[in-house]
This record gives sequence, structure tokens and C-alpha cells, in this order.
Amino acid sequence: MDRDTRPIRAFIVERLAPATGRTQLHDDEDLIDTGVVDSLGIFQLVAFLEERFGIAIADGEITPDNFGTIARIEQLVASRGR
Amino acid sequence: MAFLLQQLLEASAERSPRAIAVQARGRSLTYAELRARASQLAHLLRERGVVRGDRVGLLFPKSVESVIAMLGVLQAGAVYVPLDPHAPARRVVGITENCGLRALITSADRLAMLGELAVETVVLVSGEPRSAREIAWTALDVQPTTPPPQLGIEGDLAYILYTSGSTGQPKGVMLTHRNALTFVDWCVSTFQLRAEDRLSNHAPLHFDLSVLDVYGALAVGATVSMVPEDVAVFPGRLATWIEEQAITVWYSVPSALVYLLLHGELGTRHLDHLRLVLFAGEVFPMKYLRQLADVLPSVDLYNLYGPTETNVCTYHRVDRFRLAGQERLPIGRACENTETLALDAEGRPVGSGETGELFVRGPSVTPGYWGDPAKTQRALVPNALQPQLGERLYRTGDLVTLDEHGEYLFLGRRDNQVKSRGYRIELGDIEAALYAHPAVQEAAVIAIPDVELGSRLRGFVALRGGETLTAATLQQHCARIVPRYMVPEAIELRSSLPKTSTGKTDRTKLAAEAEA
Repeated sequence: MDRDTRPIRAFIVERLAPATGRTQLHDDEDLIDTGVVDSLGIFQLVAFLEERFGIAIADGEITPDNFGTIARIEQLVASRGR
Repeated sequence: MAFLLQQLLEASAERSPRAIAVQARGRSLTYAELRARASQLAHLLRERGVVRGDRVGLLFPKSVESVIAMLGVLQAGAVYVPLDPHAPARRVVGITENCGLRALITSADRLAMLGELAVETVVLVSGEPRSAREIAWTALDVQPTTPPPQLGIEGDLAYILYTSGSTGQPKGVMLTHRNALTFVDWCVSTFQLRAEDRLSNHAPLHFDLSVLDVYGALAVGATVSMVPEDVAVFPGRLATWIEEQAITVWYSVPSALVYLLLHGELGTRHLDHLRLVLFAGEVFPMKYLRQLADVLPSVDLYNLYGPTETNVCTYHRVDRFRLAGQERLPIGRACENTETLALDAEGRPVGSGETGELFVRGPSVTPGYWGDPAKTQRALVPNALQPQLGERLYRTGDLVTLDEHGEYLFLGRRDNQVKSRGYRIELGDIEAALYAHPAVQEAAVIAIPDVELGSRLRGFVALRGGETLTAATLQQHCARIVPRYMVPEAIELRSSLPKTSTGKTDRTKLAAEAEA
């Protein structure tokens, strides 16, 4: 993993989590059950990742496997390395 | 026919006890099982002193227990109050106090997050009791499986739905059995609901769209299948769910359909079962509606309109031949069991092409707001046109005009209420939350029109001298007071807010700047 994924955590904690009243999140905490990522948040997140990391995320990739936790999102972005 | 909602279940359980009534998260209940379980809950509540007219809160994620709880409360003669499972504790506690909940049905986890709560009885759908007032779900097992003797009349309250209030206090819209059944009967007849139907339930239970899903199914012995919250977040999974569940009747806000259309690859799905798509709660952008109509060529599409106070009061069947030339989709004509009037500022009916406010009369109209006679009086006004009838009209606050086909077109609001993803939001409710922070000197919330979501919320705040705060801190502050869908997506901090010549916050200027 040669890409700095810290901005992902920062975006989620600073932009999405505040609307749920949370200030902290573990890497493996379920973003869906906690309501941090909802149907609006998921597309804000996808737009952010696409812009920040210059990657394209297809609709078919917007799944719980890729977006369920901060760790999984980091893996998704890292897998698009280079 | 029925005069109490729970009689719908009784009749269907008698006709088809083995048919599936409800499905959620891989679990299902037959009509016989639903009747038995709801009866057990009713007996338990009665044993705990719940009597006719008492309010019972429901606070847990959607599951088969949601429907058991709704029906069990009604069988006990009580009134259920569905609460938003994602709402902040403070708001839930506020509503609990506002309507004086006698009992609460929730999970041990959720209860722990609420803190102090003045409720005598708590039934836990999951988790272990930790005090004498808490009862485990397994306590239902020993109760009788036939309903307690029926008590109640059609004018009794069935449920109270809380909606955003302009001063920061949510208001409880009271709905009677007669109100609900007026709507359910209309749905069964208009949409020809039948036992073979499989209705989706996408809307949250504190949203009145759920009334059609649940009671429309129970009325005809059909199945209601509840969309799990985690499925709803991912458009691809949601589309797959509709396919796998073989849904025949879908009902949601337009933004959920746009979401499926744009990101759920709806065009490649096998949706042969789907016969009816209903939507309500906000304006459907024409561009996307035309696409949806193309993707679902053999599905009947209906635009349903009505505030929570009336449930649906007008409807329009999408006409595929007119769709290409329509600039806006009509909200249509009054439901057959309802009367509507468009009146000008002097209370006179407006002519074709003129703008008026929509007023509604009939058996679906709410008796008012819980514990708020002043607000009730402002919303339910005397019928000046026919005073001899002695009846009140519900004033919607929605501005409409009649088109050349005699159908209503929705033009906008006469106040600061907005819709975002179908949620009804009073901007003043959010501003009150911002003002509750001691560092806030001035606050305004602007709704920026958004073609996919209805609107996006942007906050503008000026802090008191010497105060320093970040926008994220203010968002967290709001999230402790209002539900997530009401927290502004972005908050801009300024030294002061622009003013009009009369010294009020210049909302028009802020809106123009926000959209730029």
C-alpha cells in the first residue's frame, strides 16, 4: 500500500460522522449500522474518493464489502494503487 | 370491511392463516403467527396496565417485530408512536415526554443510549432486562394467542406520527382508525390490491408511506416485505432485493427511485413481477421520471400527494403519452373519498391557471396535533364557503394551480418547509438547534434545490465575538438535537449574516450565494 489513505478517515470522521453525533470511529466499526454512511453519505464518499485519488468507482463496486468499514474503503482505494 | 385497523389482520388470518404476512431480514411470519404474536403482546401490555388511548412508543430497526408491535398495541386498544431509530436521544426523549408514553418497545442497546426516561414499562425486542420495569420479548410466550376482547371505536387514535416543527419542537400528527382505513380502503380499490401481491416497505415506519405498505397488505392477505436499512444504502443491493423478493407493488419517495435508476442498474434487472410503482413525498424530476417510465415499460406509475395530516389526498396516474411534453407532473385530483379546494388569500376558490393554497376535507383528515390545541386551530380552519356544515378544512400550506385537465399542479410552499429525500423539514427547526449552541449569535439554514435529493441543506452561522468553533463541531451539536437528515451538509461560518432593509436575515441573498 503506497498511497496515503489518511484523508479517507479524515473525510468520514469530519464530514460524515458529525451528522450522527459521533467524534470517533474505529477502523473496523460498521459504518452502515452506525448510520455514519447512509444513502446520501455513500455518494458523497464515492465522489470524494474519485476526486481525491483520481480513481473511478463503478456502481457495481458500491457494496458493503467495499464500503462497510474504514478499513475496507482503504483496501478498495489501495487496490487501485499506482 | 373493518372499522378498526386490527380487524384487517383478524379477517386475513381467518381467511388465509398460512399465507405469509410479513418478511424482514430473512425471517417471515404467517398470518396465523402474526395474529398470535400480536395478541400475546396485547395481553402483556394490558397486564402491565396499558389501557385504551395510552401511547406506546416503537423504537427499533425494521423487523418482523415492527409489525407485531404495531398490531399488538392496537389490539390492546392503545395508540402506537413509531420513533425514528436514528433520531438523537434528546429528540426521542422529548417526544416521549410530549405524548406521555405509557410504554416503550425497544432494544436493550437503544434503551441504554436514551438515558433517563419517564416510561413505566419497557418491552425489549432484544437484549436482557436490567430492571423491574423492563420485560424480555420471551415473556410474550406465556400469554394467550387470541386477541383480548375488542375495545375501541373508529374515532380512536391508532397512531401518532411526529414531524418537524417550525420552532424546534416536533409536532405529533394524530391519526384515527377511521383516518387510516379511509386511506387503506381507497388504496385497495384504486390499486386493486390482492392476496398475490408482495408489497415493499421502503419508508421508515414513522413516515406515513408505511401505512399503505403494511395495512394495504394486511387488508387483502398479501405479503409486506421490509427493506432492511443496510440494503437501502447500497443501490445495487436494493435493486437485487426487489428482484429476489419478487416485489409487485413498490412505494417510496422519488429520490429512492432516482437512486435506483441512476446507480442500481435498474434496466438490466428482471422485474417482471413489478406491476405498480407509487411515489410520494416530493417532486419527481421529469427527466428521471421519463427514464424510469422507459426502464419499466409495463408498470403503472402513480404520483400520490398529501401531507401526513391527510395521508394521500390527491393522486395522478402517470400518462406515458403526455409525459414527453409535461413540464411538471401533476399531483392530480382528489381521492374519491376526499374533497379538496384551492383558495386564494381571501378564501375564495381560484380559477383555472390561478394560484391558490390547497385545503383538504374528509374522513382522512387528522383531528389535530397531540397536546397542541393552538397549532391544531391554525391548521384546521373553519370552512368559510359552507359554514353551515360546521366542518373544518386542513390547510396544507402548499400552493397549487389547476391545469387544463382539471388536475392540480404543485407550485411550492407558502412558508419555510422544505423536502429533502422526501423528509418534511422545517428550516426553523434546524435554526433552533443551531441557536441552542451558546456560541451562536446568528443562524440561517437554506435549502438548495437538488434534482436528485429534492434539496440540500446549507447552514450559515455568525458566532458571538471571541468564540471560535469549527463547522464540524456545530454539525455534531445539531446531530444531538435533530435527526441526521436535518443536519446541514455544510455550515459556513461568517462574521455576520446579510440583512434585508427591515433588518431580517436576507435568505434570498444567502440562497443566491449558496447556489453560486
